[in-house]
Amino acid sequence: MKKIIKTLALSSIVTCSLLASDVVKIGVQAPITGKYANEGQSIDNFVKLLVDEKNEQGGILGKKIEVVTCDDEAKAQKAAVCAKKLVNAGVIAVIGSYTSGATEAAQTTYYRNKVLQTSDGTSDSLIENKYWTFFRNSFPNSSQSDFTADYFVNQKKYQRIVVLSDYSSYSDGLGTATEESLKKLGANVIFRGKIKSGTQNFTAVLTKIKAMKPDVIYYSGYYTDGGLLRAQQLQLGINADFVGGDSNDNPDFYKLAGDAAEGTVIINFPTPEILPYEAAKKYLAAYKREFNMNPPSIWPVTNADGLRAIFEAIEKTSSLDTKKISDYIRNDMKDFPGITGPFNIREDGERVGAKFVVYKLNNNGTKDVVGQ
Amino acid sequence: MDIFLQQLINGLTIGSLYALVALGYTMVYGVMKLINFAHGDLVAFSAYVGLTIFSQLFGSSATSFVSVIIIFVLTSIIVAFVGVLLERLAYRPLRTAPRLSAVVSALGAALVIQNGIMLIWGPNMLIFPADLLPNTTWNIGGVIITFTQVCILILSAVLMAALYIFINKTKMGTAIRATAIDQDAAKLMGINVNRIIMIIFIIGSILGAIGGLFIGLYYRALIFDMGWLYGLSAFIAAIIGGIGSIPGAMIGGLLLGLFNALIAGYISTEWAETFTFILLIIILIVRPTGILGEKTAEKV
Repeated sequence: MKKIIKTLALSSIVTCSLLASDVVKIGVQAPITGKYANEGQSIDNFVKLLVDEKNEQGGILGKKIEVVTCDDEAKAQKAAVCAKKLVNAGVIAVIGSYTSGATEAAQTTYYRNKVLQTSDGTSDSLIENKYWTFFRNSFPNSSQSDFTADYFVNQKKYQRIVVLSDYSSYSDGLGTATEESLKKLGANVIFRGKIKSGTQNFTAVLTKIKAMKPDVIYYSGYYTDGGLLRAQQLQLGINADFVGGDSNDNPDFYKLAGDAAEGTVIINFPTPEILPYEAAKKYLAAYKREFNMNPPSIWPVTNADGLRAIFEAIEKTSSLDTKKISDYIRNDMKDFPGITGPFNIREDGERVGAKFVVYKLNNNGTKDVVGQ
Repeated sequence: MDIFLQQLINGLTIGSLYALVALGYTMVYGVMKLINFAHGDLVAFSAYVGLTIFSQLFGSSATSFVSVIIIFVLTSIIVAFVGVLLERLAYRPLRTAPRLSAVVSALGAALVIQNGIMLIWGPNMLIFPADLLPNTTWNIGGVIITFTQVCILILSAVLMAALYIFINKTKMGTAIRATAIDQDAAKLMGINVNRIIMIIFIIGSILGAIGGLFIGLYYRALIFDMGWLYGLSAFIAAIIGGIGSIPGAMIGGLLLGLFNALIAGYISTEWAETFTFILLIIILIVRPTGILGEKTAEKV
């Protein structure tokens, strides 16, 4: 009996590996449902768009590519389950997730199983482990916070600054980084507060802030709360500018803030629509043709760049060995022509080459660039 | 001073919403000795129903006072119907069963409604239109109050007063109170207990529906599991006020809202919830029956 089981097990392993050899599997770990669903679905869409294109060109190294998607709902527990699922499915690389928290929860599993992972998560902690399997396709919080501080102090000359975040690792990290960058430039941060994401009622903390008479309220969380914060700020008659970090950059911000969206300032990567690069024009037109809309924000696009870099490395090294792919991306890839601009990946997995833009929102859903 | 008054208004607004929802818990408990855990999710359901009625009937056209009334009335009818259905399916068969069975059934019903919302409307955030109610705000000596807040405060006060009069001054109200004291004796006196329980569920559901619609109008973001958040807060409000007591639910809701706003405003935003609940635990230690709950002699 034992022998039979052994042979069965062995033969199944052999057939599996035989089957696996003519497809390459790429994983997507993203919030397909839940609060940040429109970002997660867009990441999934973009990956599928790029994979379809590659498959039409005959696949990669002569093999067809398959996409395996796992919904992490932007929750750490679900992300850990996704990591196991995708590893078991035999993917060589995972694109995502959208939130830093969900990305971090899955990192170690991918590292132990030698599966590549690239994410737009901006928490500085994502590259602290120096996992060779991970590289970031966006910018770290610290670079955004330096830019924000410079804009506040040198351009806007704000005297009284309030910094708010939620409790997530990304948002708290960006809030703290911004506060530190501001203090380095000698700015006056009068209040650093935290709100609980999803509670909807921020009037208590905003009223407290009102008494401090701030010039500006900076919010480093996500659009789901940012839109409500802005609406309630104006409702309470707090005459301060509202500046949002990158994750406020989403069409739903307008819907939540209503008329209050007018005049909000958001600091982020350039939005997809105004990216001046060759690849951007091509891929965003393709995305629009396929899905009848633009990506909701820059994040699905930076993730797409992560996947394109992986494809490039596979083709250049003619290998599916993840270590070789990772080495190529870190050491040999020079100024990769990304959709979001040319970039390199440092030894620790950090993206080098990030450009920030300051937008002002108008009520009709358009944005003006007011600073770079 | 104006900051303090502003926090008071903030707290009263959210407190009124808690109170409206808490009434549903407390009335059902008063009559059936059952915690209707599905009530919070019914409140979330009503916000979704209201949004759907709005988009189906009025599209995105500018709304009038009449259309808002229509949304409120239609939503109340639908939610009342669902509330009665809930009682028929989940609670009536268990009326003589041990109390724990009914509580488990209530938790099951809550999950059914929550997942029903997710299946019908999807798991993504939906957003109420911003221009359903006028965006007027008044500035009274530095205290800002919005039209929606005024609506919430006035309407919830009117509804609570109406409910209080209904329970205490009408024949039907007397029957409800009688049923709450002793179901068997009420039956012997010719009261149709099934009908009373149905009426309780209709009233509770309508109050919850109005609370849910206001939550939608005031905060605008709907997510399928929000019922749990509001339901839990309202349930705690009902406990504070003394579960089973109608004025108690009102006071409990307002107190919870006020505590939260004042603690967040003057002690710590991060710890507001923790401190609020510590305070509530202290209240319950001092008065285990809640603020207005009466000590009932256990039948031996």
